[in-house]
Amino acid sequence: MTSGKVSQVIGSTFDAQFPEDHLPDIYNALLIEADVKGNKVKVTGEVQQHLGGGRVRCVALGSTDGMRRGMEVVDTGKPLSVPVGKGTLGRVFNVLGDAIDGRGEVAYEERWPIHRHPPAMENLSAKTEVFETGIKVVDLLTPFVRGGKAGLFGGAGLGKTVILTELIARIASAHGGFSVFAGVGERTREGNDLWLEMQETKIGTTDRSVIEQTTMVFGQMNEPPGARLRVALSALTMAEWFRDATGSDTLLFVDNIFRFSQAGSETSALLGRMPSAVGYQPTLGTELGELQERITSTKNGAITSVQAVYVPADDPTDPAPATAFAHLDAFIYLERRISEKGIYPAIDPLASSSRILDPQYVGQRHYNVARRVQQTLQRYRELQDIIAILGVDELSEDDKMVVHRARRIERFLSQPFLVAEVFTGKAGKITPLADTIRSFEEICDGKWDHLSEAAFMYVGAIEEAEEQFKKMQAEA
Amino acid sequence: MANRRLLVKRLKAVRNIRKITRTMELIATSRFKKAMDRATEAAEYTRKISEIVGDLGRANLKFSHPLLERRAEEKRSVLLVLTANRGLCGGYNASVLRQALAHIRGLKEKGIEFQLEVSGKRGIKFLNYQKVPIQKQYTTFEDQPSFAAVDELGARYVDDFIAGRIDRVDVAYTQFVTSSKQFAVVESLLPIASLGGGAETKSEAGVDYEFLPSAQEILAEIVPAAFRAKLFKCFLDAAVSEQIARMVAMKGATENADEMAGSLKQQYNRARQAGITSELAEIIGGAAALG
Repeated sequence: MTSGKVSQVIGSTFDAQFPEDHLPDIYNALLIEADVKGNKVKVTGEVQQHLGGGRVRCVALGSTDGMRRGMEVVDTGKPLSVPVGKGTLGRVFNVLGDAIDGRGEVAYEERWPIHRHPPAMENLSAKTEVFETGIKVVDLLTPFVRGGKAGLFGGAGLGKTVILTELIARIASAHGGFSVFAGVGERTREGNDLWLEMQETKIGTTDRSVIEQTTMVFGQMNEPPGARLRVALSALTMAEWFRDATGSDTLLFVDNIFRFSQAGSETSALLGRMPSAVGYQPTLGTELGELQERITSTKNGAITSVQAVYVPADDPTDPAPATAFAHLDAFIYLERRISEKGIYPAIDPLASSSRILDPQYVGQRHYNVARRVQQTLQRYRELQDIIAILGVDELSEDDKMVVHRARRIERFLSQPFLVAEVFTGKAGKITPLADTIRSFEEICDGKWDHLSEAAFMYVGAIEEAEEQFKKMQAEA
Repeated sequence: MANRRLLVKRLKAVRNIRKITRTMELIATSRFKKAMDRATEAAEYTRKISEIVGDLGRANLKFSHPLLERRAEEKRSVLLVLTANRGLCGGYNASVLRQALAHIRGLKEKGIEFQLEVSGKRGIKFLNYQKVPIQKQYTTFEDQPSFAAVDELGARYVDDFIAGRIDRVDVAYTQFVTSSKQFAVVESLLPIASLGGGAETKSEAGVDYEFLPSAQEILAEIVPAAFRAKLFKCFLDAAVSEQIARMVAMKGATENADEMAGSLKQQYNRARQAGITSELAEIIGGAAALG
């Protein structure tokens, strides 16, 4: 183990001087342990650049508070590694792989480095299978792929985290395999809520709680950018072990992948890279690609992942969400205009899409119904300007019918959530795919034109809308 | 910035629409004046006829006329629906058609056979869409219906009624009360319920007429004339109301378009400023990183 000295500290990055013939490799973890006036300073850094003359530039994975020039830096000789294995289940970790749930030591057999190669091309799985969630709008318009990746895009406060938690409640509780949750740069409170909730939620009908099959890794908002930059990799490494060693279906939830890009952008300029479009790091695509390419299913086992992606200023053309978009199979876009109407989940049925919304995967009937729903809503959106200026009376009779049905479809896309029961006072609804398709088909056919718009809000299958309508009439 | 280009495009479209609605508003205003003049003139005539009929009534004569007789059993009826040839007049057509549909439903319930006659492309289109069979359709009555054309219809109704081919004539149209008050009604024109509804507003000087030839003969002339005048007035009322409805609708549309153009312009300006800011930030950031 060679050691060097800190030569410069710039925010969350630092430079260290090593003997020229004992330079630490790129991505090696460096350790600083010192006592400064009674305060313990313990920082792990990761080598990013060789600057020449024996100097290396590193990103600190912890706070650089109290660091000084001249402190001793020890090269660990290998990249950062995290514990993997079944011992990690039920535990909460930080980026370094240390347990932070206060439940003592983690029983692990091996540690894996967080920097790994993506699976080789010939090992990738070619299966495509629909993954049912029981959420009408998702199953109909943006069907998830088993072993695929789904992204939840949305601006601030549109309910990304709520949908993600809902998916955990729906999928993880019905799922036999393992789950990994990565909290990247989001609120610590939310992480805590999720942890507590997972302890309470039971898997299916067994009395085992979801947390027993789940590993959680957090690097939240309070952590320095280095931690937020690497925490997704730490979580992913643990998920990879489940995939490769146990061969089971593994779920990986990431909230929020944008924070990963943001952390990269925060460190990028400090590392001396020139900012690129909108101030992002020039290596945005590479960084995200290295992460995303590892989240994939192999012949051995599958990782199904759901990722929340924050969209800054509701602008989906921002480089960070735009780059993330390319990696996903299913793409869910949350729209402010829809949440303003009080329709949750605020999924935009026209901007959202899925790779497998294709007759060869979902079947001709599902495909046709989904397209009809989209056409109706598309036409309604086109007519909106005319309605705003001239009023609904000026539309042709056919267009009036389109508007009539589109307004009902729009409302029918809402659904009560399991995790929102406390807020809405309505029990969460799991709608089977067959019911979803049938319901929307019947609305498009005009079978339910006589129901009032309000009857379509927050129900499951269409029969529940009819029930709600009758109840509302009885009350009126 | 695809977003900005999109905003400019929408802004242009909205401004063009505004131009059209503004023009239509002005046209409707001038047409409204003309239609209004005609309606007031016709109102004079109708009033005069009513006066004469009223005088006749006061002459305490026993009179009878087939157009005044209410049939004991109404079996066949005619419903004439007056709508506009053009849209862009708010709820004008829709409210007349709503009344007409309600009336048709009533007729069907009572089992009365009806012939539907519709004037105006809008009404024809709507009723075709609703799959209500139309016996006769007219599209020639514009904003200045001529008496001769309307009279053709009137004469036919009178003949049919007297011959017993029809028992009843109703007209669905928009009644013009004042320039700020019009409403859609279904009015029964035949049989004539009371002789010239406005008989009460008779002239003060109770002139005693000497009838020559007999009162009965004059009555035979004047009752159909009163009916025709009334039918004509329905057309005129409808024409005035249409122009008013269009004026109001287009005024609202112009205002809406103005508002929309304003908010689009604001959005565009914001997007533009955001673009400039981010470009500047990039240049400065880049320069700082290089230096």
